[in-house]
Order: sequence, then structure tokens, then C-alpha cells
Amino acid sequence: MITPFYILLGFGLLSIVLHRTALLKPFALTAFGIAGSVSFMTASADLKLFEIIVSSVLFAFILHEQEDITITQTLFLGASSMLLLESDSILSFVIAFESLSLISVILVSYVKTKDEVEGAVKMFIASALATGFLFLGLTFYLMGGGELQEVLHPNATLFEMIGVFIMLLALFYKLTLVPFHGWAVDTYAKVSHTNAALLSGVAKTVAVVAVFKIFEPFLALHLSFAQPLFIIVALLTMTFGNFLALFRKNIAEILAYSSVAHAGYMALAFVAVSSSYAQDGILYMAIAYIFMQSAAFLILDTLKKSYAIVSLDDLHGFAQQNPLLGALLSIQLFSLAGIPLLAGFLAKAVIFYAVVDSGLWWVALIALLNSALSVAYYAIIVKSIYFEDLKVKKLSLSNRTTAFTAQLILVAGTIFFGIFAGVIL
Amino acid sequence: MIAAFFIFGPIVLAVLLALFLRGENVVSKYSALVLFTGMFGFSISLLQKLPERGYLALGSFLEVSKFDFVLTLQVDMLSTIMLLLTSLLLILVTLSSWTMERQSLYFSLLIFFSGAIFGVFMSTNFLWFFIFWELTLIPMYFLVGVWGAQRRIYAAVKFFLYTHVASMFILLAFFLIYKESGLFDMSLVKEGMLLSPVLIWWLLFIGFAVKMPIFPFHTWLPDAHVEAPAPISVLLAGVLLKMGAYAMIRMVILMLPQTSQKYAWVLLLLGLVTLFYAAFMALYETHLKKMVAYSSISHMGLVVIALATLSYSGLSAALYEMIAHAFVIAPLFLIAGFFYHKTGSWQMQDMGGIMQKAPYISALFVIAGLGALGLPGTMGFIGELSVLLSSIKSFGLWMALVALASMLGAGYIIWTLRRVIYGEMSSVVAKTDFRMNRVEFFSLILFVFVIVFFGLFPNLLFEYINAAFMQFRSIGALQ
Repeated sequence: MITPFYILLGFGLLSIVLHRTALLKPFALTAFGIAGSVSFMTASADLKLFEIIVSSVLFAFILHEQEDITITQTLFLGASSMLLLESDSILSFVIAFESLSLISVILVSYVKTKDEVEGAVKMFIASALATGFLFLGLTFYLMGGGELQEVLHPNATLFEMIGVFIMLLALFYKLTLVPFHGWAVDTYAKVSHTNAALLSGVAKTVAVVAVFKIFEPFLALHLSFAQPLFIIVALLTMTFGNFLALFRKNIAEILAYSSVAHAGYMALAFVAVSSSYAQDGILYMAIAYIFMQSAAFLILDTLKKSYAIVSLDDLHGFAQQNPLLGALLSIQLFSLAGIPLLAGFLAKAVIFYAVVDSGLWWVALIALLNSALSVAYYAIIVKSIYFEDLKVKKLSLSNRTTAFTAQLILVAGTIFFGIFAGVIL
Repeated sequence: MIAAFFIFGPIVLAVLLALFLRGENVVSKYSALVLFTGMFGFSISLLQKLPERGYLALGSFLEVSKFDFVLTLQVDMLSTIMLLLTSLLLILVTLSSWTMERQSLYFSLLIFFSGAIFGVFMSTNFLWFFIFWELTLIPMYFLVGVWGAQRRIYAAVKFFLYTHVASMFILLAFFLIYKESGLFDMSLVKEGMLLSPVLIWWLLFIGFAVKMPIFPFHTWLPDAHVEAPAPISVLLAGVLLKMGAYAMIRMVILMLPQTSQKYAWVLLLLGLVTLFYAAFMALYETHLKKMVAYSSISHMGLVVIALATLSYSGLSAALYEMIAHAFVIAPLFLIAGFFYHKTGSWQMQDMGGIMQKAPYISALFVIAGLGALGLPGTMGFIGELSVLLSSIKSFGLWMALVALASMLGAGYIIWTLRRVIYGEMSSVVAKTDFRMNRVEFFSLILFVFVIVFFGLFPNLLFEYINAAFMQFRSIGALQ
């Protein structure tokens, strides 16, 4: 059977031939176009929409991207994302998960500056550690009587429980949950912004959805084990991310911490596994997040390359220079902050409601206050764009229409899913 | 359908105008005026169609299968009065910002705000109500941050954060209501359906108290009011604060009557503290606009006291006082802003004797000031009197205390008039040219006309206000 995975893998292998020709970009775009339509026809009902969205976000990403190597790697990354989303047993999950982290490591290893080396090495070590833990956990799990070719066992023995716990620790690394978040902030802030968009926007989101799909039945049966663990981890993660983001001047670092904070919001879905809304919550969060986070990092890339903007001070008065790009960035930031009529708000609303629904209103209150706190640093970026005076007139080096089209696709997603919730729910 | 048009139409129009107009294009100004007039006409047409009891359904949109998350548009007399007040104020605010700088963007934001605020008053679905409630923050953030005075950035960020944090309590309350009753519609939820009404009451109370504002949650307001451009201060006082009071009436007092009965003393106590604290602050203030801002908070204290009675007469008095406050405080803000614009100073000691230079504007300021201190013949008098009467009726004669605040009000208003309008002409005033744009002057006259007209004929207004609460009395939700 033809699945999006085979299509993207095939196109990825073939794309190597087309390097250094003008055909590569249209070729990759076609690949994601076909992959999207194939998911529309073949994918299982609950993940169909998400697979299509992953394809379209990667489509927008290809429009933006200029490096040939990264385009090919994006195809491979798309392929392993699809594989991960379609995985239905422990074995296929572990294989797909490892291939996704392998691609991610290769993606960041294409380094040009010292900073990028630092980011890449940290990511590599974290990935290696996570892989080790994952296999250790898997070993325990198998010793306890688990089967590789099935979903997680519901009737857990002690060894199985230990195995699942260790596997979860490994996954916390990947999902950048506190206290395993340290590498992520440096990696996201230091590798090139387009890579950060792929890692924090696409790869992490896909991983969260897949992990939820595989672990949800198990965790729902062991609430006394899952709930306390995830409450602590989720609340710590969002509070940590938000507080540290407050004091940053570098925009990429702010977005990196905000990515950690969002991992905390996503972890709330695991807290609320007993609620029937948890599944919708994580799906909505993933869909909203993949649009807004990728868009924000891609705009950052344009800002850095065309205007040499890195810190908040460089951004002063940017709206007077390029009102359209300033408005696009503001919309995505407001969405990340959870302002209504944008996808970020409804995503948070559904996931927080799931928490309230499972009876933990005080956890929801802390999460809500966290989300309100996070508005501070997004509002400060918007403040720099609009309220401050333009100090130095910076010249734009290039104005690419393809990058702009990519932004239009992403902002359309952010606004559409902020109004038409019926498509997901 | 047409109701949804008046919510999303302005929002789309605002985005288009902001995208395609640059700088000082007058198109945005006139489209704002036409749109707001249309909104006013629409609100009047609603008044004709309202049923005697219950809601007038205006359609429901954007259904979701797994949640009760539908954009249900319904209005009753209470929300229609708020719509009328809002659209009238929007027209007057447009007129009074006729010569604003960077017009295209300014009026686009104003149009955006109008759509969001109509959504607040028309949608009865909690989640959509919240969406519009939060959406009003965005244009306000930009309006204060871009057009404000020196400390505009601090004020804008503080306003945004403070009110946003408060909104989170509201959202949690809505979630709890939905969990316990399975309903997201404020026209259907009854107190009996809820398992934890006390928790929900407190969450809603804190959330709305910040917006109103009630002491001790008022600290965002002096900053925002002072730094905002004058027409935006009018919107903040006339619409945003009213939004809080409207929500307090609808979702705290009418939806949770028994718990409100239990905690009426909280409302009363905080109302009294707000009233006196703000009055004393106004008395102490030498910053002209801050004085007006504190007098605005003090008036909201009156509204809270009237709400605390939880009675039919008290709610009517509160609604009248809300409308009176909107019209009385507006010219004060506008003229204070105008004085600052011309003299370059907020301090009262720099002014003095403006009456000799600009008699007409000073006369309008005096009339509005007299309205604020509650002189008979103005809306302020009827508002304070009805609040006083209803609170004495509910709590006994010791509530004559409220009249004491009126005296404080007389104190700070008359002292301000003495220092700013009358007295010896200061050197700053002597060399200032006090000519005002005609359209803006016209809007001031309209404000003052309303103050006097409804002060002399309050029945015209009470007819509708009483009708708004009569239906709740007849179903036994009010005494």
C-alpha cells in the first residue's frame, strides 16, 4: 500500500540527484503535495488531519528554505514523521522515533558557525542519552513480559512499570520537559533558525502526538502513577520556561524558552488522560503549535538574514520599516500567547478544559496563570516592534516572495484554526 | 445573520483598512463614522424587536460537535442598552478624535474594537463571550501604546497583563461551569445546576472586579487612563469598565443569586472602600487627568454599592449610574487631554484662569464637572440619588454615608475648577492658543447635551432600564 512515508522516502532519495538545479524546490513541493493528498485518502481517521497539516507546514518550510541539503533532509524528516504517526506497536514506534531523532541530529550537523556547533553537539549528546534510556526501558519492559509487536501492555507487572517509567524519562528528553530541557534551549537558540523551526515546530510536535497515541491507553489505566508524575513535570516545565523567557533579550532564546513552556502545556494532556477531551486537546495543541512556532522561527530567519536583527533592541520600530512582516510576527506571537481568534487560544482552552474535566481545577489554574504570565514576554516583543522608535534604518538585503508565501500559508493556518474549531473537534 | 455581520464585519474591515491605507488617509475616519452610525441604528432596531421577556435570538454559528461551543447571538434589554451606549460612545469618540495623528491605523483599531465589543454584548456562549472579551484588549493595547503620553509603553503593557491575568480566573470559572452543568450558555445556566457555586462566584468576581475596577484591583486603571490619548480614556471609562459591570450583573448577580446573597457584604464593603478611597485620592491629586481617573473609579464604587443591594431598584440605579458615568466622565477626560495638548502640562498649578482665554470650553468643563459632583439637573444627580435611595432601602439609614462621598466629590471637583478654570491666569495659559477643531468641539457639546437632557428627563432612560430588570424580578431572581 502506498503511504505518505513511502512517497516522502522515495522523493527524498531521488532529490539527491537534483541538487544544485532549480528543479529541487518544485520537486520537494510536489512531494509534500502528493504526501498530503495521500494522507487524505489513506490515513486513519483520527490522525488524517494532523498528517495533512504536517505536510502543508513542511510545504511552507520548503518554500522558505534555500539550502539544498536541508531540503532533502526535510523530505526525510517528513518521511519519518509520517512513520512515527502511523506506528501502532512498540517496535514500530521505537524505530520511527529513533529515525526521527537521527534525522534531527543530521539536520543540525550541517554547521557553519561556532554557535551552531555548540547547539548541534548538545543535541547529539541529549539524543544519545535519550536513546540509551529508551532502550534500557524497553529491555525492562520486555523482561516484564511485554510484546514488541503490540501496543503497551495494560496488565502491568513490576518490571513493565519500571520499563515504562524509564522509557518516559527518555521521552521527556525529546519533549524537552524539565528537568531534561537544558539542551533544548541552547539548541533551539543556537542552530540556524530554519533548523530550529523544524526541530521545535515540527519534530517535537509530531513526537508528542505519537507518544500520546502510544502511551495514553497504558497511562489511563495507571492514573495513580501517571497523574502525579505528569502534574509535577508539566507545572515545573511551564513555570520554568515562562520565568526564564522573561529575562532574555535574544529573540531566539525567548522563543526557545517559550517552546519549553509549550511542552509543559502539552504535558497537561497526559495529566488529563482520564478525560475524553485529552486526545482532542493534544491534537489541537499540536496543530496550533506546528503553525505558530514554525512561522515564528521562519520569520526570525528572515529578520536575521535580511535585517540583521537578533535581539529585542534591534527590533525597535520594525513596524515602520516592514509593517507586513511585523504584523505577521505579531499575529504568531499573540497566538503563542493564547490571545483569542487565533489557534493558540483554542488549543490552550481545550487542553486546559481537559484538565478541569479530569477534576484537577487547581492544576488548570496554575497553567492558566502561567499562560497569562507568558503574555508578558510576547507583549514585550510586540512592544519593540510597534511602540519604540526606529533608531537605525536597516537596509533589506533581499525580499523573497516565496518566503512571504510560506508565511501566508502559516498565518492562514493560525487564523483558520482559531475560528473554525469544528474542523478538529 | 446581520448581527454576526456587525461583529466580524468590523474586524475584517479593520484588517483591510490597516493593510491598504497608509498615514493620514481620511477614508478610515469616514468609514468608522458610517460603521458606528450603522451599529447605532442596528441597536435601535433591536430595541423595537425585543420580546417582553427573555432573549431575542439573532442566530448561532460555527458549531462544534464535541463541545457546546457555538457562537450563539442573543440579546435582551440589558445587552441592548449596553449596545446603544457603546455605539453612541463610539460615534462621539470618533468625532472627538477627528484630528488624531496616524489616522488610518488609529481608526482601523477603533473599528476592530467595535466589532469585538459588540461580540461581548451579543454572544451568550461563555467561550465566545470570553473570546471577544479578550479580543478587546488587542486594539486597546496598541491604542494606548502607540498614541499615549510619555509613559505609554509601561501603561500599555501593565494594562494588558493585569487584565489578562484577571481574565484567566474568568476562563477557569467558565470551565468549571461547563464541567458541572454541561452548558456553555449564560442564558441557560442556573445556580442550582452547579456543584461548587462558591468557587465559581469568587473566580468570576475577581475577574470582573479587575475590569470594573474595584479596590484593591484598580491599580492598572490610573496608569492606563492617564497615559492613553483622551478619546481612548473615554472608551476605557465608558465602554471597558462598563463591560466589567455588565458581566458582573449578568454572570455574578443574576446567574448566581444565592451565592451573591451570601457574599453581598463583600461587594458592599469593597464598593464603599472604592468610593471613599478614590474620592480621597482625587482630592489629593494635582495631576489633572489622574484626578479625573480617580473620580471615575469613585463613581464605579457607587455602581458596586448599588449592585450589592441585589435588588431590582439597586440594579436599575447601577445601570443608570453606569450610563451617567460614561457621559459625565467623557468630556472631563477630553477637555483635560485638550488642556494638556495645548499647555504641555498635566499639573493644575500650571493652569488657572483658562475661563478668561477659552470661555466656551471652560463652560463645558464646568458643566461636566457639576455633573460629576451630582448637581440636580444633570445625569450625575439622578445616578447618585437613585443609588443612595436603593442602598438605604436595602441596608438601612446608615447608608446615608454614601452621600458623604458626594460631598467629597463636590470638594475635589470645585477645588479643581477653582485651580484650573477660574483664578488668576497663569503664565503658561496666557501664552497658549486654545482653539479647538470644530468637529471635536461639536462632540463635546453633544456629550454635555446628553448629560443635561437625561438629567432633566431621566424617565426616558428609566423606562428601558426598568424593563431590563423587570423580567428578572418577575421570575423571582431579584427582590
